[in-house]
Amino acid sequence: MNTAIETNNLVKRYGDVTAVDGLSLRVAKGEIYAFLGLNGAGKTTTIRLLLGMVKPTSGEARVLGTRIRVGERKPWGLVGYLVETADAYPELTVRENLEAMRRLRPGTAPKAVERVIERLGLTEYADRRAGTLSHGNAQRLGLAKALLHNPTLLILDEPASGLDPAGIVEIRNLLIELAREQGVTVFMSSHILGEVSRLAQRIGIIHQGRLLQELDVDELERNRRRRLVIRTRDGQAARSALLSAGFSADMTSDGTIEVKDIAAIEQPDDIATRLVNAGHAPTMLNVEEEDLEHYFLRLVGVEEGGAR
Amino acid sequence: MNNLAQAIWVEFLKARRSKMPLFTALGFAMVPLGGGFFMIVLKDPDMARRVGLISTKAQLTMGAADWPTYLRFLSMAVGAGGIILFGLIASWVFGREYSDRTVKDLLALPTSRSAIVLSKCVVVAVWSAALTVITCLVTLFVGAALGLPQVSPQVFWQSGITITVAACSTIALATPIAFSASAWHGYLPPIGVMILVMGLAQLTNAAGWGEYFPWAVPALYVQGETLGTVSYVIVILTGVAGIAATFIWWEWADQTH
Repeated sequence: MNTAIETNNLVKRYGDVTAVDGLSLRVAKGEIYAFLGLNGAGKTTTIRLLLGMVKPTSGEARVLGTRIRVGERKPWGLVGYLVETADAYPELTVRENLEAMRRLRPGTAPKAVERVIERLGLTEYADRRAGTLSHGNAQRLGLAKALLHNPTLLILDEPASGLDPAGIVEIRNLLIELAREQGVTVFMSSHILGEVSRLAQRIGIIHQGRLLQELDVDELERNRRRRLVIRTRDGQAARSALLSAGFSADMTSDGTIEVKDIAAIEQPDDIATRLVNAGHAPTMLNVEEEDLEHYFLRLVGVEEGGAR
Repeated sequence: MNNLAQAIWVEFLKARRSKMPLFTALGFAMVPLGGGFFMIVLKDPDMARRVGLISTKAQLTMGAADWPTYLRFLSMAVGAGGIILFGLIASWVFGREYSDRTVKDLLALPTSRSAIVLSKCVVVAVWSAALTVITCLVTLFVGAALGLPQVSPQVFWQSGITITVAACSTIALATPIAFSASAWHGYLPPIGVMILVMGLAQLTNAAGWGEYFPWAVPALYVQGETLGTVSYVIVILTGVAGIAATFIWWEWADQTH
């Protein structure tokens, strides 16, 4: 059984609102799977469904082979999780918060608390009350609670939220290390494609409760649009030359020419030769790849500026 | 119920580290101290008026400066004040998980949700009982310090039974407050519920139906009203319904906070 998480046609409705709509996905053991979507796309509801916190309207979810029902207990000894925001008891210290969680996870050794404090870089703050922690350190404490008992499956909702750039890299490396060296499965949600593409092996994109696309990171690279961007001294004349050569050249508002034909993108030197021969030598010629955010927004049907 | 002892340890840790035990102890300390104040006044009302402890217009209808009066004051404080104070404890113990948004960390654990609810109930009961015991001890100390005239041990035993029954009733009546803290996600809504039930208790009392309204029963009991078995049964059923509703809520309701 190589599946850590499996959902079959999972639906969750709150009154007239469909938060999750027929979600079927499969996460293999040892895989880092990123669940990507805009705010309100259904990511957190899916995570709550996986953790048995809310009942599905229809469909089913299986975690580590156990069909999840509300109040289910079987798989949770092997699962670490962080849902929505990382919250802790504000009047307890970092160490006490972790000790409380350790006691609620029978079988976790007392030394696990110190180990996870060190691993998450919380040693300096171990005796500080959780209510006084910065957002970033509170997030580290939330992750520490999830990692405390050496789980085989991590379900993390926006794990990088609130972390500074160094913290994001640190947590990313930690998750990669856990997956590679200990075979831990990571199911994480995010709304930043650029962030997860450096970490995940598979990405599921959810929008308005529906899974739009599931793809490997390699496929992501292939699916991104590319274009040839050209500048010349006389943009209009250069564009006319390209149009008469059979290319679909567009002019942007800043006078840059965009060519999306595959032939032009794969052989930009040919375009340069044509332009030089036509007397419009390029001052700039560059093959640009659609950035991840544009790709994501295009996929979910949101144009820049927020129109759908 | 698995891992209950550890869940109770965790709940006591949370309670100990908060300021709530101090605040509730201070709240209940007002009972023996307030009673002691009245004992001083009742011992010598003219002196109390002269030194300005009470207004010259004050009507002293409480009774005499003796143990039966002082213990009756304590019983009435537990019967009426216990509903508010023990309800506050229950609303904090359950509602803080929602207000602090920590409830989600308790829902997918190898420790069952029922064990967590039961551990919270244990903390509410022990905390409330401890406050009652401490208040009784302070009352005895203050009464002795004031040199109240000696009475037979029977008076203390009788008052002890009355206070115990009143405390048990008011602790039982805190379970619907625990449910309202869970169902309405925080510690403020149950305070509204408490104000509502206290108002209804006054209303039903005034209408002569107090013996059938659970939150009116403890106050009637400590006042020495003759209550039928049905009144006690109503209090017990309310407590059982409150605890059952809380368990069902934690186990079965969608947890979206």
